[in-house]
Amino acid sequence: MGHSTPEWVFIGAVTAILIWVGAESWNVEHSLEYAPPNSETVRVVGQQWFWSFQHADGTQEINELHIKEGIPYRFEIVSNDVVHSFSIPDFAILMDAVPGRVNTVWNVFDEQGEYLIQCREYCGMLHQDMRARLFVEPNTDNATAVSSESEPTISQGSGTAIIIAPGGGEVGSTGSGTMRVVEPRNLTQAPANDSTAATNATDGNTTSSGNASSTASASGPTLSIPAGAATPGNPAYAPDTLTVTKGDVITVTNDDTAPHTVTNGATPGDADAGQLFDTSIMMPAATAQIDTATVEAGDHPFHCTVHPFMTGTLTVQ
Amino acid sequence: MVLELKKPRPIWEIIFSTHHTDIGLLYIIASMVALFAGGGLAMAIRAELFLPGLQVFSGQADFSRFFTVHGTTLLFLWLLPFASGVGNYLIPIMVRYKDMAWPKLNAVAFWIIPPCMFLVWGGFSDTTWNAYPPYSILKAPGPAADMWIVGLKLLGISSVLGAINFVVTILKMKHPDLPLMKMSLFSWAVLATSLMIIVAIPTFAASLIMLYTDRLGVTGFFNPEMGGDPIAYQHLFWFTFHPEVYIFVLPAIGMMYEIIPTFSRKPLFSYYSGVVALIVISIIGFGSWAHHMFAVGMSFTEKTVFMVGTLAAVPSSAMHVFNFLATMWGGRIKFAAPMLFSVGAILLFFSAGAGGVVNTAMPLDFLTHDSYWVVGHFHLFVMGTISLAFTGFIYYLFPLITGRMYDTRLAKVHFVLTFVGIAVIFGVQHILGLYGLPRRVVDYLPIPELIIMNQIASFGGWAIGASYAIFLYNMIKSAMFGKPANPKDPFELGTGVEYYYDYARRDPHH
Repeated sequence: MGHSTPEWVFIGAVTAILIWVGAESWNVEHSLEYAPPNSETVRVVGQQWFWSFQHADGTQEINELHIKEGIPYRFEIVSNDVVHSFSIPDFAILMDAVPGRVNTVWNVFDEQGEYLIQCREYCGMLHQDMRARLFVEPNTDNATAVSSESEPTISQGSGTAIIIAPGGGEVGSTGSGTMRVVEPRNLTQAPANDSTAATNATDGNTTSSGNASSTASASGPTLSIPAGAATPGNPAYAPDTLTVTKGDVITVTNDDTAPHTVTNGATPGDADAGQLFDTSIMMPAATAQIDTATVEAGDHPFHCTVHPFMTGTLTVQ
Repeated sequence: MVLELKKPRPIWEIIFSTHHTDIGLLYIIASMVALFAGGGLAMAIRAELFLPGLQVFSGQADFSRFFTVHGTTLLFLWLLPFASGVGNYLIPIMVRYKDMAWPKLNAVAFWIIPPCMFLVWGGFSDTTWNAYPPYSILKAPGPAADMWIVGLKLLGISSVLGAINFVVTILKMKHPDLPLMKMSLFSWAVLATSLMIIVAIPTFAASLIMLYTDRLGVTGFFNPEMGGDPIAYQHLFWFTFHPEVYIFVLPAIGMMYEIIPTFSRKPLFSYYSGVVALIVISIIGFGSWAHHMFAVGMSFTEKTVFMVGTLAAVPSSAMHVFNFLATMWGGRIKFAAPMLFSVGAILLFFSAGAGGVVNTAMPLDFLTHDSYWVVGHFHLFVMGTISLAFTGFIYYLFPLITGRMYDTRLAKVHFVLTFVGIAVIFGVQHILGLYGLPRRVVDYLPIPELIIMNQIASFGGWAIGASYAIFLYNMIKSAMFGKPANPKDPFELGTGVEYYYDYARRDPHH
């Protein structure tokens, strides 16, 4: 080993760089490890294939998260089925959602705006569409901000925060894509065991089913989502072609163990998808109603935004 | 038979032979079949990602099947068998024994591989190559996932049998006049690799059985609904597959140790440092597996331990790079194809290693994890370093295997196209990762930056594909019609230098 001096110098230099990298990482990571005690807690639930968020005050949001600027937030991340990963790339936030575990990550969002939330761990058929939106809002105690955002919205996105709800994603004609949000819209949601006393949507923005009564739902046509519908190839809707008379109120029941929707349009990418009728996300055993009074006569294909392979047709006479 | 210039034998004599060069040849041919099949899938993947939305595939499900089989094929059916093939070809020559220690076991180890290929390709599973539960046990469609599990299980058996054979051949059948410390560095690399295989693979073999019984519903090791822990699988998986990274790369480094001094026409800078680095990495390589799992919710202590373990593995890789460069320094270098590929591999090995240091720095890992940065990073390793060195070694062995010379002009075109393609596609993928593009997605947001960078990456990928089509043409044409090579000095490196392997060793003795 006569010529070892240059090699030792080289190895020494490499080791010095590595020690520096390790020490800096330790410092930074150590300062990020523990959330400040005054953090607001948000529970993040990952599920095939959407995110739901539960705030400390009980508010629940699906695929949208509204938070205030400048406040430390602590996210408790859980999963209902397989491993997901909760990621907000603009803030370098990443934490896996592992079933059976509660992982936490915290951050102070210091810039207002609209950001992308995505799933970073492969989770199955619609992994690429498991996206949500983060709204960082000014820290004024504005309670109406949340409810005004939950109106049925079709808005143009631009810049780096375009989000397309499940199934979207073609290059839009405008070049920036159309943003559609899965949000409670013109329908009610109520637990199945309480269907006779179904109350209308709480956010008061229902456009068509505001007058749906329990008698209407009991006598009108029904559409059910059978168990196993979330698996491609199984029957998606029963019946998959439903014929109703204009004005009927359809009662939709989710008998499956996965969340579903009944949303007009053959695919989530259709231009008018979700504009004629949309149950929004129905959790297992939930029911919803579709009022056909505002739906014009004709054939209307519908699908499930969570599982776009689930399709059916509604014929209004 | 095209592959034999002198005294051609009928093809079945090669297929049913137990001679080490014949088995080695079968390994090399099988692995090259896998290389082209798996690479073909990558071309389709790049076509899909050329634009956002759906082009080639009907949805994420088909896309997942493609990238799963792409990864499985290239890691387990290209890299591992190719290293075994070259080991079979050269180890008995290098340790001066007539054959491998157990020729029939050697043939068994090879013939396990074609059924595995059939299982992996016949099933076309969509679990991703890491098959994380609970997805792989609860949701992944069968029988594809089951076929994948059985296929990998068999491959593990094949690897372990091959590794045992190498260890025994090197340690027990070595010629008594050849001390361990005079053995070639390629033999050292194969020895280190084989020992790592014997330690690492059984863990994954066990977890595959647990995964399979979980899929059957008999057990719940990784099923949270039955009280299992999905993270346990990830630990078992990475305990095998982080060392596996070194199992892939050490044979490539051994091959570069063969090529670089030869074409620099200069002795190796430091034999001892090469041996020490190989031994050190094969031990330290076992202390860093959980750096793949920083984001599963690890404690600060765990993260620190595995960051230190990962950083500790870097200096020995740096020692190899230094050794290569110091060997080339002042040499009369002849840039024939094997040397070009080796030099390209050194450059990309260095870049990939630098990216790896970024990944293991704890706060930065949360930026890069499961993004396209990671895709670019490990492709720089498996394609940019390992496959480049392997491809260079195919050119290097070509005169020994066929007795003919390849088309040197086409080989240089191949190198330039491949190197540029690799630098473009995987460099751009690092940047895509920093833009937040998650890996394993069939579709991405139609943001102009993402579209443009994906298109650049696709062109890079297709350049690699085109260059390997040239390579295939060159191999087939030269094997049939190439001009006969000088068996003593096929690369015309100098008069009187008898550095090349003994051509007569190819004649079977039984």
